[in-house]
Amino acid sequence: MRALLISLALWGVTCLVLAVGLGWGKPAQVVGMFVVSGLAVGSLYALGGLGLVVLFRATGVLNLAAGAIGMSGVMIAWQLVEWGIPAPLSWIAGILFSSALATGYGRSIAPRMAWREPVVKAVASLGFALILLGLASFLWSDDPRKFELPTDKAAVMILGLRVTVTRLLVVLIALAAVVLISVALQRTRLGLQMRALANDRRLAALIGVPVVRVETMAWALSGVLFGFAGLMFGDLVRLQPAVITFLVVPCIAAAIAGRLQSLPDVLIGGLAMGVIESLLTLSDMFKSIRPVAPFVIAALVLIAMNRGRRLTFAGED
Amino acid sequence: MRHRALAPILVAVLLVGLLPGIVGGQWVKIFTSTTCFALAAAGAGFMYARLGMVSLAQVALMGVGGWVTLRLNHATGLPFEANLLVGALAASVLGMVLALPALRMRGLYLALVTLMVAGAFEVIFTAYQFPNGGAGFWGVGTSFSAPMRRPLLGESDTAYLRYCLAVGVLGFLLIELHRRTAPGRAWALIRRSEAAALASGVNVTLYKTWAFGLSGFLAGLGGGLLAASLGLLDAATFKASESVLLFALVVVGGTRFWFGAIVTAILYRVVPGLLNNWGVDADLALVFFGAALLHAVITAPDGIAGQIAALFAWRAPHDRA
Amino acid sequence: MTKHVLLPAGSIAFALLASTAIAAPTCGANTGAAATGAPIKVGGIHGNAAPGDFSASTTAAKAYFDCVNANGGIGGRPIEYLVENDQWNPEMAAQAASKLLKDEKVVAIVGNGSFVEMAVNAPLYKEENIMAMAAACAVSECFESSNIVSTNQGPLPSTVGAAQYIVEEKDTKSAVCIGLTIPNVGNWSCGAMEGYMTSKGLTGASVLLNPASPDVNSGLLEAVATGADTIVVNLPAGLAIAFLKAAEEQGLGDSYKWASSTPLYDRTVPEALGSYWDGKMFINAELTPWDKGGPDATNWLAVLDAYAPKDAARDTFSQSGFLSAKYFVDTLMKMDPATLDDRAAVTTAIKAITGYTSDLTCGPYYVGEADRHMPNHAGTMVVVKGGTFETVRDCYEYDSPYFAPIIAQEKALGLH
Repeated sequence: MRALLISLALWGVTCLVLAVGLGWGKPAQVVGMFVVSGLAVGSLYALGGLGLVVLFRATGVLNLAAGAIGMSGVMIAWQLVEWGIPAPLSWIAGILFSSALATGYGRSIAPRMAWREPVVKAVASLGFALILLGLASFLWSDDPRKFELPTDKAAVMILGLRVTVTRLLVVLIALAAVVLISVALQRTRLGLQMRALANDRRLAALIGVPVVRVETMAWALSGVLFGFAGLMFGDLVRLQPAVITFLVVPCIAAAIAGRLQSLPDVLIGGLAMGVIESLLTLSDMFKSIRPVAPFVIAALVLIAMNRGRRLTFAGED
Repeated sequence: MRHRALAPILVAVLLVGLLPGIVGGQWVKIFTSTTCFALAAAGAGFMYARLGMVSLAQVALMGVGGWVTLRLNHATGLPFEANLLVGALAASVLGMVLALPALRMRGLYLALVTLMVAGAFEVIFTAYQFPNGGAGFWGVGTSFSAPMRRPLLGESDTAYLRYCLAVGVLGFLLIELHRRTAPGRAWALIRRSEAAALASGVNVTLYKTWAFGLSGFLAGLGGGLLAASLGLLDAATFKASESVLLFALVVVGGTRFWFGAIVTAILYRVVPGLLNNWGVDADLALVFFGAALLHAVITAPDGIAGQIAALFAWRAPHDRA
Repeated sequence: MTKHVLLPAGSIAFALLASTAIAAPTCGANTGAAATGAPIKVGGIHGNAAPGDFSASTTAAKAYFDCVNANGGIGGRPIEYLVENDQWNPEMAAQAASKLLKDEKVVAIVGNGSFVEMAVNAPLYKEENIMAMAAACAVSECFESSNIVSTNQGPLPSTVGAAQYIVEEKDTKSAVCIGLTIPNVGNWSCGAMEGYMTSKGLTGASVLLNPASPDVNSGLLEAVATGADTIVVNLPAGLAIAFLKAAEEQGLGDSYKWASSTPLYDRTVPEALGSYWDGKMFINAELTPWDKGGPDATNWLAVLDAYAPKDAARDTFSQSGFLSAKYFVDTLMKMDPATLDDRAAVTTAIKAITGYTSDLTCGPYYVGEADRHMPNHAGTMVVVKGGTFETVRDCYEYDSPYFAPIIAQEKALGLH
C-alpha cells in the first residue's frame, strides 16, 4: 500500500509540474481540458499494459502480438454487427475470439519456443502479429469504418470537457481489472500458483504447480483483456488494423511503468503517460512529436529502476 | 582450417565482382537495399552473439545515419564518403549512449530500452521527415527534392551496387578484426562473467560501449548508403516495428556464423521482392512472413546459417572459446 | 448502434450504379476486333499494403486498356500494362520503377496511385525522359516536378477549394486546417490554405497531427484554441473519421463550420460518419461526382462493369485512373505508328497534350513543357446528406496565389 501511495505521489507530482510549467499563462480551464483528454488516452495505454503484465508475470512472455489480437477481436465484432447480429453478442464474440487467439498461441506455439530466452520469445510473437495483420488486411479492404458503442452518445462534463461514458468505462474497467486481478492473485489458489510461477518458474514446477493449466488461464485472461482493449481502441482511436496492431508499442511503455510486475503501477503510469502526452500539445516545440512521451518516460523508468545495479554475474534475465 | 577462410573470400569476390553485372535494374536496387540492411544486421548480430545484448533500435540507428548523411549532403559540398562517415559516426555515438543503460541491465529490460528509443525515433522521423534540401535545421522543403550526390565510383545504379557491396565487405572485415583482437577477447570474457572480466582487468564499461558504438556505426553506414541509393529517405522505412522485425530475422538468420547477417538481409529484402515478383498479394506475403518467422524461431536453434553450416559440417568460430 | 448504421454497406453504391451503367463501353478505335500486333509496354505503380489501398486507379486504367485491346488496340497493337505494387515502401517504389523503366523498357507510366512512389521516382522519370500520367497523387513532388502530371488534384487544391467554398458561402472569417505533420503533405497543403485565407484578408491557421499518435482529441482541442470559426479537415479518411468522432463527442458539430478535402468523398463515409454529420460536413470532390452522368462518366462505369473485377472500387481514384488511361490512348492514337516504341517520342507526344476535356473533370487537361503540372484545380462541393452526398456547388475554379504560375502556364497555352 505504501509503495502504491509513493508511486501515485511521484506520477501526480510529475504531471502537476508539467501542467503548471507548460500551461503557464494559459487559462486553467484549457489546461484542465488537456489533462482530462490525456487521462482518456492514458487509460487506453494502461488497459493494453495490464494484459501484457498479467501474461508476462505468469508465463514470462512479453506478447508483441497483443495489439494484433485485440485488433482481430474488434474487426470480428464490427463484422458481426454489420451482418446484423445483435451488438452485445457481437462484442462478446469479439472478446472471446481474441481470447481464443491468445490461448491458441499460448498452447500451440509458445511452448515450442520455451527454450528460447525472453527477448527472443517476445520478438517471435511479432511473427504472430504479422500473420493476424496480414489476414485482417486481406479480409477487410481498406474502407473507412467506424466502431460504435451506445455509451458513445451519453456524456458528462469534467473540467469543461465532455467525456463520453465509453471513456469513463475504460478508466473504470481498467481500475476494476486491477483491483479484481490483484485480489484474485492474493486470495485464490490459481492466483497463488500464478505468483509462484512469476517468482521462480522451475521451483514452482518442482513443488507441483500445474504449469500448463496456470499458463493457459493466464493466456486466456490476457486475451480477454486484449480483446476488450481492442474494442476500445476500435471505438476511441480508429478502426484500422495496422493502427491498432502497432498500438502495442505505447502499451509496452505503460507495462514498463509498472516494471512488468505491478498492476496498480501500470494503471497509474499509463494514465500519467497519457496526461503528459496531452500536455505537450501546449508546447510549441514538442507538440508535433508529443507521442514520444510514453517512450521517453518508459526509458527513464527502466533506467531509474535499474540504478545502482551492477551486472556482476551472468544469470537468468 | 584453410578452406574455411576461402569461403568468405570467394563469396566476397563473387558478390562484388559478378553480381552487379548480371542482374537487371530491379534486382540491382533490391541487392543494394539488401547490402545496406546486411550491414545493420551484422551489427545487431555480433552484439547478440558476442555479448548477448539485444538492440531493437538498429533500423532507427540506420535512420539516424541516413538523416545525418542527407543533411550534410544538402548543407555542404563535401564528397559522399565524408558525409557517409560522419553519418555513421553520429549513429555510432548514439549507439554508445544506448550502452549506458546496458551497464546496468541486460536481456529483456535492455531490449525494451532500445525498443522505446526506436519508438521515439519513429515519432520524430514521421514528424520531421528526412532532409531533402530545404532550409532550416531540419532541412525539409515542401516543394522540391534536391539531388543526393553519389560517390564518384558509383554514379550508375550498377556501379553503386558494387560500391555498396565493397563497403559491406569492409564492414564485415571490421567485425572480424574486432573478433580476433583485444575487444573480441574482452567481449568473450564479459559474456561469461562480468566479475571475471573485471578481475582480469578488462574495462567492462569501455568494451560494452565499444560494442554498441561499432554496431551503431555499421547501422549508420547502412542508412547512409540507402539514402544515396534512393536519393531520399522516408519515415516509413524506420518504424519501431521494422527494428523489431530486423532483430527477429537476425535470430532466424543465425548469429554464430558470419554469413548469418547475409541470410537475414536476404530474408528482409530479397524475399519480399521475390514474393512481389511472383504476384503474391502483399497482405498474404505478410502472413507467410510471420509464419516463416515463427517456424524458424521454433526449429532452428542456430538459425538458417546454423543449418547451412551443419550441411557442410562447419563449426562456429567461437566454439573454441 | 442505430438503425441507420445497420444499412447494408453496398446499397447506396448499388442504387447509384443501377441508374447509370447500362450502355456498352466505347474504347479506343472501338472496332470490336481484338488487337493482335506486337504489344506496347506501359507501366503503372500503385500502393496497396497494410496502411491503405490506392490500387483503384491502376485497376481502372487496366480495365480501359483491356477494353482498348479488345477494340482494335493502337492501330492493331495491344497495350501490355505492367502494374507494380510499392507496398508503401520507398525501396520497393524504386525497385518497381527500375523494373518498369530499365528492365521492361516501358514507353510511359500511366495511372499511378501512391503516397511514396512519386517522391522517390520523380528524379528517375526526368533522367530517363519518360512521362508519368499519374492518377492518385498526394505529395508535393507529384505536382511540382517536370515529368509527372496527375489527373487528380491532391490535397492542396482540394483543401484550398474547400476553404474557398466555406468562405464564400458561409461567411467564414477564420479557418483552421487539420493536416498531417508530414512536410510534403500536411504542411504543404495546409500552408497553401493559410496563404489563401491571408490573400482574402482573413485568418488561417494549421493544426498538424502526428499519424503515429492514437490521440486526436488534443489536436481537436488545439484547433478549438486557435479561435477559428471553421475547421477544414485535410486528413486520410480513417484519421478524419476518428477526428470527427472526437468532435461529435464534444458536440462541436453546430458550433463550427466544417469542410473537408476529397478523402472523405468516399461511398462508405456517410455511413461511417453517421447521421450526426448530416448536412454539416461540406466536402470538396476533385473529380466530378460519380452520379453526375455524361458520356465519359457513363463509359467509365460501363468499362469497369465489363473489364474490371466485380468488387473493384468505383470511386474518385477509379475515375482518375480511367481518365489518365483514356487520355494516354487518345494521345497514342494520334502518333505516327512507327514511333510508338520510342519512349522519347511518346514523352514528346504526352507533353504536347493541350486541352483535352471530359465531363469527369471541371477543367481542361494539358501537360506542356514545364517544371510543374497541376491541370486539375477546379472542383465540386458536396454535402453529406441522407446517407449519401448532395452537390451544393457545381464546378468552380479555385482562386489562390498558389495557382498563379499555373494560370500563367495555361494562358501561354491559350487555355485560360
